[in-house]
Amino acid sequence: MTTLRLLGGMAVIALSLAAATVRAEPYLAVQQGYKCIACHVNPTGGGLRNAFGNIFAQNVLAAHRIAAGDDSWTGAVNRFVTLGGNVRADWTRTDIPQQQQSNEFDVSDARVYLNVEAIPDRLSVYLDERFAPGSATNLEAYARYWTADKAWFIKAGRMYLPFGLRLEDDTAFTRTVPGINMTTPDTGVEVGWESTSWSAQLALSNGSAGGPETDSGKQITGQLVRVDPRWRLGLAASHNPSDAGDRAAYGLFGGLKTGPVAWLAEADLVVDEGFPEGSRDLVSALLEANWAVRRGHNLKLTAEWFDPDRDVDEDEQTRWSAVYEYSPIQFLQLRGGARLYDGIPQNDLQNRTKFFLEVHGFF
Amino acid sequence: MTTTRKMWSTLCALAQLAGCAGNGDGLDASGRPVSADGGGGTLTPDLASIQANVFTPICTQCHVGANAPQGLRLDSANSYGALVGVASSEQPGLLRVKPGDAAASYLIQKLEGKAAVGARMPLGQPALPSATILVIRTWIASGASSGTLARTKTLAVQTVSVAATEVAMAMTQPVDASLVNATTVTLQRLDTPSGEPATVAARLAVSPVNDSLIVMTPHEALASGRYRLTLRGTGAAALADWNAAVIDGNGDGTPGGDYVQALAVGGAP
Repeated sequence: MTTLRLLGGMAVIALSLAAATVRAEPYLAVQQGYKCIACHVNPTGGGLRNAFGNIFAQNVLAAHRIAAGDDSWTGAVNRFVTLGGNVRADWTRTDIPQQQQSNEFDVSDARVYLNVEAIPDRLSVYLDERFAPGSATNLEAYARYWTADKAWFIKAGRMYLPFGLRLEDDTAFTRTVPGINMTTPDTGVEVGWESTSWSAQLALSNGSAGGPETDSGKQITGQLVRVDPRWRLGLAASHNPSDAGDRAAYGLFGGLKTGPVAWLAEADLVVDEGFPEGSRDLVSALLEANWAVRRGHNLKLTAEWFDPDRDVDEDEQTRWSAVYEYSPIQFLQLRGGARLYDGIPQNDLQNRTKFFLEVHGFF
Repeated sequence: MTTTRKMWSTLCALAQLAGCAGNGDGLDASGRPVSADGGGGTLTPDLASIQANVFTPICTQCHVGANAPQGLRLDSANSYGALVGVASSEQPGLLRVKPGDAAASYLIQKLEGKAAVGARMPLGQPALPSATILVIRTWIASGASSGTLARTKTLAVQTVSVAATEVAMAMTQPVDASLVNATTVTLQRLDTPSGEPATVAARLAVSPVNDSLIVMTPHEALASGRYRLTLRGTGAAALADWNAAVIDGNGDGTPGGDYVQALAVGGAP
C-alpha cells in the first residue's frame, strides 16, 4: 500500500509545494528565494560561500552582529583567492533498545575551502579539503570555466554530483538511498547552465562513489531546477552501469515558502540490480518544515520514510527529527535536536533515538 | 505556537498518507523474508555469521550496488572479494582485511574509529558494540576464511591457575565472549564463618590476546581458604563456543554439564 500512496503523496506535495535546490542549507535558499549560486561559489551549492554569502551570514543569518570595525569577512584573501571553512563539534547520545546507551563528543566535520580565480569570473580552481574526522582528505578538486555571459560552465575533476536537495544532514534517507551525497564525491566532468529562473547540470563520472574505477561503465547524473522567489521544483536522474549491476535513481524535489516557514520535499526511486538476489526498487521520501521563529532562530521539523524493497512488505522505516538552530552571532551556529528512528522490531538499530548538540563555526 | 502546530499537522498528515514503519512480519533482522536466507542467528567469527548479523543488516544500508561508497560492496555476493586481501581505496598501503592481522586491517580501523582517513563506520550510526568488533577481529585473526567456522573439538576446561588476584581458565578453544558473565562463571568461598558458600565478586573477561582464556579478577584479593569454581554447562545460560556448542563441563565427551573445581588459596588444605 504504502509505497504507491507515498509516491503519489510526495509527488503531489512536491509538485504543489514546489521544490528546491541542491545545497548544504537549501531551506535558506527557499526562505530567501535565492538560487544556490547567490551565496556559494559552487553553482550547485554547498562548500565555499562567496562574498554575498558571507555578508548574508553576518547581517541576516545571525541574531546579533558583533561589530568588527570597518572590516567584514567576505572570504576574499585578495582579488584572486577566496578562503572558507567549517567546523562542527558535536555531543551525541544514542539510545538503542536492548543496548547500553552511548554518548560521545566528536568533531564530525572540519574542512577548508579554497578557490583561486586564475581568470576572474571565468576560470577557477576549487579545493575542498577535509581535516576531520581522520587526517586530511580531499573531497573536491576541480577546475571550472564559465562562459563570458555566465550562462554556461564546465568543471572537471573530483566533485559532488548534482542530485536532489543537498541537505546538511547526509544521513537523511533521501541522501543515503540514492547514494549521491557529500560523502561520495566522484571524478568526472560536469556541464551546467544558469539562467534567471533555471539551473541545470549534467555530469559524467566514474560512478565509483569515490573509489577506484573498476569497470568501463560511466555514471550519468543530471538535474533541472526551476527557481521562483516563493517556490522551486526540480527533477533529478542518475544512471550508473556497472559490472555489479546497473543502478538508476530518479528524484523529484522542491521547496515552498509560506510566511515564516520554508518547506522542503523530496521523493526518490532507486532501481538497483546490484543485489545478490537481483534487482530491488528502493523508495525514500522527505518533508521538512523550517520555521524562522525570529532572526537567528530556526526550528526544523522533518519527516522521512524509506522502503528498502518495494517487493517486500512491512520492511519500511521512518525517521522523525526536531532540530533547533540558533545563530547568536555571525559565523556561529548552535544546533540541538533529536532524531527518532522507527523500523522493524527485529532490528534494534532501526529503532534507535539520537540526541545531539552541535557547535558549528564557519567562515 | 500556531505555526508549530500547522507544521506538525502537515508532517503528521504526510505520515498518515505514507504509512508508518513496517511491523517486520515474516522478516529477519535485515528486513529480508526469513525464507530467503534465514535469520542471522548468534554472531560467530565466520563470514556467514558476520554477513548475516553485521554486513547485511548494517553495512549494506550504504555499501551496496553500483554506487557503494569507495566501490566497497558488502552484500553477501561481494563482501569477501571486496574485503579480503584487497587494498583500501582510502589507504592503499593497507588491506581492508589482512588475514591473520586484525589490527593492520583497515576494516577494523574503520570500525574502531582509528583509521587515518574519514569517519568511523557505520557512518551516521552508533559504533558497533565492542563484542561485535571482537568477533570480526577473531574472524580476521583466524585467517579470514570464506567458509563457516569449523568445529574441531568440544569446548572444555584445559587448565585452571589460581592466584590471590586472578583466576585464569584456559579453554580448549575460543569461547563466546558474550556469554562470559557472573552467571556462567562463579567462584564461591566455602570456608565462611556461617558455613554457607559465599560468591566472590569479580570482573570477568576473555583475554584480549587469547580468546581461549577466561580471566577472573576479584574485586578484592582472595583470602586464604577453600573455594569452588563453577563453569555452567547446563540451563539456558550456559557457557559456549562461537558455534553455540555448550561446554562439556562434566567431561563425558559431549556438550553439557557443569564444570566444578575445588581450589585452595594461600596454602589452605
